[in-house]
Amino acid sequence: MENLLQTTSLARRASWLVTLRWAAIGALVVAATVSRRFMHIDLASRHLYVLSGFLGVYNAALYGLLRWLTRDSREPSSAAIGRVVTFQICGDLVILTMILHFSGGIENPFAFFFVFHMIIVSILRSRRQSYFQAGLASALFGSLVWLECCGFIHHYPLQGFAGHGLYANGVFVLGTLFVFGVTLFLVVFMTTSIAEQLRAHQEELEKANRQLQEKDTIKNEYVLRVTHDVKGHLAAIQSCIDTVHEGLLGPLSEGQKDMIGRAHRRTSQALAFVADLLKLTHAKLAGEPGISCFSLREMIAKALAAAKSRAEGKGIRVSVDVAPSVEIVCGEQVLIEETILNLLFNAVKYTPQGGRVELAVQDQGTQVLVQVRDNGMGIPEDEMDKIFQEFYRATNARAAERDGTGLGLSFAKQVVERHGGCIAVRNNPEGGCTFSFTLPKRTPRP
Amino acid sequence: MASARILIVDDDPDITEAMRVVLDHRGYQVDSAADSTMAMERIKAKRPDLIILDVMMTTPQEGFVLSRELKRDPATKMIPILMLTAVKDKTGIDFRPEAGDESWLPVEAFLDKPVKPDVLVQKVEALLRKT
Repeated sequence: MENLLQTTSLARRASWLVTLRWAAIGALVVAATVSRRFMHIDLASRHLYVLSGFLGVYNAALYGLLRWLTRDSREPSSAAIGRVVTFQICGDLVILTMILHFSGGIENPFAFFFVFHMIIVSILRSRRQSYFQAGLASALFGSLVWLECCGFIHHYPLQGFAGHGLYANGVFVLGTLFVFGVTLFLVVFMTTSIAEQLRAHQEELEKANRQLQEKDTIKNEYVLRVTHDVKGHLAAIQSCIDTVHEGLLGPLSEGQKDMIGRAHRRTSQALAFVADLLKLTHAKLAGEPGISCFSLREMIAKALAAAKSRAEGKGIRVSVDVAPSVEIVCGEQVLIEETILNLLFNAVKYTPQGGRVELAVQDQGTQVLVQVRDNGMGIPEDEMDKIFQEFYRATNARAAERDGTGLGLSFAKQVVERHGGCIAVRNNPEGGCTFSFTLPKRTPRP
Repeated sequence: MASARILIVDDDPDITEAMRVVLDHRGYQVDSAADSTMAMERIKAKRPDLIILDVMMTTPQEGFVLSRELKRDPATKMIPILMLTAVKDKTGIDFRPEAGDESWLPVEAFLDKPVKPDVLVQKVEALLRKT
């Protein structure tokens, strides 16, 4: 099971251990001071302070090592990070043993802090590694208490806390060591069992997710092929109807004109739908984005001109407010332009005669915020979270405008998210709604 | 230039026929070909004033290949080409005349299918005026 955890997450955990250690150093200094000053427990405080200092240097070195391994946000090898984690745990066990030595040995209840290390190593490392650490902890602590018990090394008693002499009581020492060892091994056994189950579960989920993505790609490719074929037929139908509709093949009776007009309209709608579906599917299937840097200001001006020509017929006033600092943005130009157009055309479409559409672009440092505000019909509150779904059209939109594919907003969402931004909508208190999306000035490469 | 000769190269007989009706109506002489080989034969037999060329015929790039071939040949390189493209559908790339790389895609104009009769006539007239 070794190295199953993602390297990056292992690296994060390794850094987390360093942070924990800073806290532990602080706690050690405070505990030593409080025990001596306020609880009047006689401690070898000076030794403990020296140990804290040593621990600080050791932790700073580990911090530096981890920074070096993950420098320039490059991917370190999982084996290297794994070794650092193992080294940290071994080091911690030795230092904890030394702390215990200077603070009562077996008489110090903090001996059970070894359990924390066992839990951490069982989660982060392999089963074998974990049992090894449990063995090492038992050996270190066992040697300490045995050496103290036999008088080979000095015993620093916790005067005023535990009964003096326990450390030399063979039965007590043996019993405590037995329970201590069993505890550590049981903790490792239980934690590794749970951790392995979780890892296996995580693997399964990742695999299922990969399969889903593959299936989704196949589905999209299928949709693309079918839609493309359908578009070919529709284009031919439309072209043929056009010749009759325009009277190129002779004059039509009123009834013929009406029926051909209907067929013409429905084919146009079907074509618009197919074109939107193609756009959306392309956006979904597109692999590496074709990123270029362009003037967002110029793009907005162009989109605005297109929207204005549509708005004129309905007497809708279209205004724009682009922050002076907004200029170059890097992303997929065609898709972003299409997204802005989509939102503007929607606003014009669902705003009644004489209404107002405002486009605002704000500079937010690393990103821009684009807002399209109208005073149209707004969106029913209970449908807010559905309107970005494919094929969904709000009930009031459907009632007001028969034309519409329900794909424009899902396309916009797809494009914005592909660029690492987010899109949202809210109703304005005075009526109408505001669509806003953020766009990083520089789209991160996937 | 109402009597100009226009060659439509498209493998979809219905689209070809519909365009023929539109252009016929305007008084153009319209000829058609369903693939590159037939198109070359027609061009050699009688040089058209304008070629309307579909991008995808037997192979997805047949139109591109033919347009490059025509532009390489001194005898045909002056004939304007109006390319009908459904490329956007296949690739998602929006072809615009200003984005066209002369050597890679040497055509004078693009139109997306289906082409509205008035748009087709406008484009054809504009291209013929230039020559």
